[in-house]
Amino acid sequence: MGSVTVSPLHIFAAIKNAFFGVPLPSDVTEGEVSIIAGIRLPRVVLSFIVGAAFSVSGAAVQSVLRNPLASPFTLGTSSGASLGASLVIVTGFALFGSYSTAAGGAVFAVATMFIMVAFAKRLDRSLQSSTVVLTGMVLSLFISAWVSLMATFSDERYRQLIKWQNGSFAGRGFGYSAVLLAVFAVCFTVFMIKSKQLDLLTFGDEQAMSIGVNTSAAKTILLVLASVLSGTAVAFAGVIGFVDLIAPHITRKIFGPKHKLLLPMTALVGGAFMTICDVAARTLAVPNELPVGVITSLIGAPFFAAVFFKRRR
Amino acid sequence: MLEVKELSCGYGNDTVVKNVSLSVRDGEILAITGPNGCGKTTLLRALCGIIPYKAGSALIDGKEIHSMSREELSMNAALLSQTGAGGEYSDFTVRETVALGRYAKNKGFGSDKTDEAAAEKYMKKTDTLSFADSVITELSGGQLQRVLLARAFAQEPKIIFLDEPANHLDLKRQIELIEMLKAWAADGKSVVGVFHDLNLAAELSDRIMVMNEGRTELLDSSENICRSEKLNKIYGFDIRAYMRKTLKKWE
Repeated sequence: MGSVTVSPLHIFAAIKNAFFGVPLPSDVTEGEVSIIAGIRLPRVVLSFIVGAAFSVSGAAVQSVLRNPLASPFTLGTSSGASLGASLVIVTGFALFGSYSTAAGGAVFAVATMFIMVAFAKRLDRSLQSSTVVLTGMVLSLFISAWVSLMATFSDERYRQLIKWQNGSFAGRGFGYSAVLLAVFAVCFTVFMIKSKQLDLLTFGDEQAMSIGVNTSAAKTILLVLASVLSGTAVAFAGVIGFVDLIAPHITRKIFGPKHKLLLPMTALVGGAFMTICDVAARTLAVPNELPVGVITSLIGAPFFAAVFFKRRR
Repeated sequence: MLEVKELSCGYGNDTVVKNVSLSVRDGEILAITGPNGCGKTTLLRALCGIIPYKAGSALIDGKEIHSMSREELSMNAALLSQTGAGGEYSDFTVRETVALGRYAKNKGFGSDKTDEAAAEKYMKKTDTLSFADSVITELSGGQLQRVLLARAFAQEPKIIFLDEPANHLDLKRQIELIEMLKAWAADGKSVVGVFHDLNLAAELSDRIMVMNEGRTELLDSSENICRSEKLNKIYGFDIRAYMRKTLKKWE
C-alpha cells in the first residue's frame, strides 16, 4: 500500500525473490520489485521494530515508576535525542556518513538518561517515582529549550530539523533495522529475565524490597535499558510520540500485568500500531507523505487525555 | 532468633527510634505498641532493611541485617506492611500474587512446581484459595490482607514482621488471624507485630513492648504489661479503667 499500487501477488513474489532468491514471474516488473524490496519492505520492517521498541521501553518505565503516563519520552530521552540530532544537523558534523544524525541522537538520548538517573539518585537514593518523573521533566524542558535556541539560529536547516523531529521511516534501508533489532534483542532479553522484578516493582518499593528486590539497582538498570532502547529508536526514526503509552496500556487491559506475557505482547501490538500509522502516513495525502509522528499524535493525544481524565474521576 | 541492641534509626537527620534493645526467640510472638508517632513502624522498617539504621545492631541468627543481601534478608524476614495492593498496575490474581512471594527462592523466568505447591499451601492456610483467580485490586480490604499474609508466608522466612495486620479485618477475621499467626509461631518461627489495639496485642503475643517517643518504656509478658500502672502515664489516661468500662457493656 502506498502512492503506487502493487497487487498482493506481486508483493509476495517480490518478497520471496528478495529473501529466498525465488525467480520472479514474468508479469512482475523490476520497478515493482524495487518499490517492494528496496523501499516499502525495509520501511515496514523498521516501523515494526521501532514500534515494538517504543512500546516495550514504555511498558517497562510505566511499571518501574508505577505511572501510566510515564514513558522514556517524559523522562528526557527524546529531548536528548533531539539535541544530539540537532547538533549533527546544525553543525553538519557527519562522522558516520548517513548514520550521523541517528548516531548523534542515540548517544545523546542515552547520555541524557544517565544524567537524569544520576541526578535523581543524588536527590533520592531510592529513586522514588515522583523524583524520577520530576527530574526527567525538568531535564527534558531544559534540553528542549537548547534545541529551540539552536533552531532559531539555523534558519536554513530548521526545516530539516523539524522534519527529523516529526519522525519518518522514509529512505531507511535494512541497515537501520539490523542495528535496531540487535539493540532490541539485547534489551528485550534482559527485560524478560527481570520480568519478576518488574512484577514486584508494581507493588511499590517497600513491598518489592521486603520480597527480595534491590529496588535501587533494579530501577537503575531498567530505566537505563529503556532509554537505550527508545533512544536508539528515536535516533533512527525521529520523535514519534504516544506509541509508548498506547500499546502498553491496551496490552495490559487484554493480557494482564504479568511482564512475562505483557512484554512480548506489547511489542507485537506496538509494532503493528506503528506499521499501520506509517501506512496511513504514506497513503492519506498521496502524493504527499505525512510525518508518522503527526498520525500517532493525532490518535495518541485524545487517548492520553482519556486515560488521564479517567484516572482523575 | 532476633537480637536488637541499642538500635537508633530515622529519616534524614531525624532520629525517630532511640537506643532500642530487644530480643525475640524462635517461636515467640512479640507485639510492639505505643502512642501515635512513637516510632513503631520506623523500627519495623529498619528491622526489615527498608531504611538503614544509624547506630546499634540488629541480628537474625547472629548475622547483621544490613550485611545481608536483599534476597538473603527476604528469606529471613517478611514484612506485611500497610501499603496494600500497590497500585493500578499490580492487578495480579491472588494466585500470582502469592507465588511472587517465592521470588528470592526462584528468580528465574518461569515458576516451578515447588512455587505452585507453596502458593497453594499458603492460600489454603489463609483461607484465600476460594478466590485464587480473582484480581487483588478488586478484593475487600480484609481479603487483600489475607492474600498479602499468604504471600509473606510463601517467603517462608524465619521472622514475619506485621504492621497493623488487623486493619480492615472484622472481629471474626481478627481472631482467625491470631490463630494463623500462633500456628505459624508454633512451627518455631517468630512474629513481630505493631498493633494499636492493646486487646489484640495481649491476645496474640507472648510479650509486649511499649514504646514512647522513640524509646522502649516497657518490655514484659502480656499479662504484666496489662497490669502495669505505667501504661496510663504513657497514653495519658487511665487505660485499665477504660477497658473495664467497655467490658461492662458486654456483661
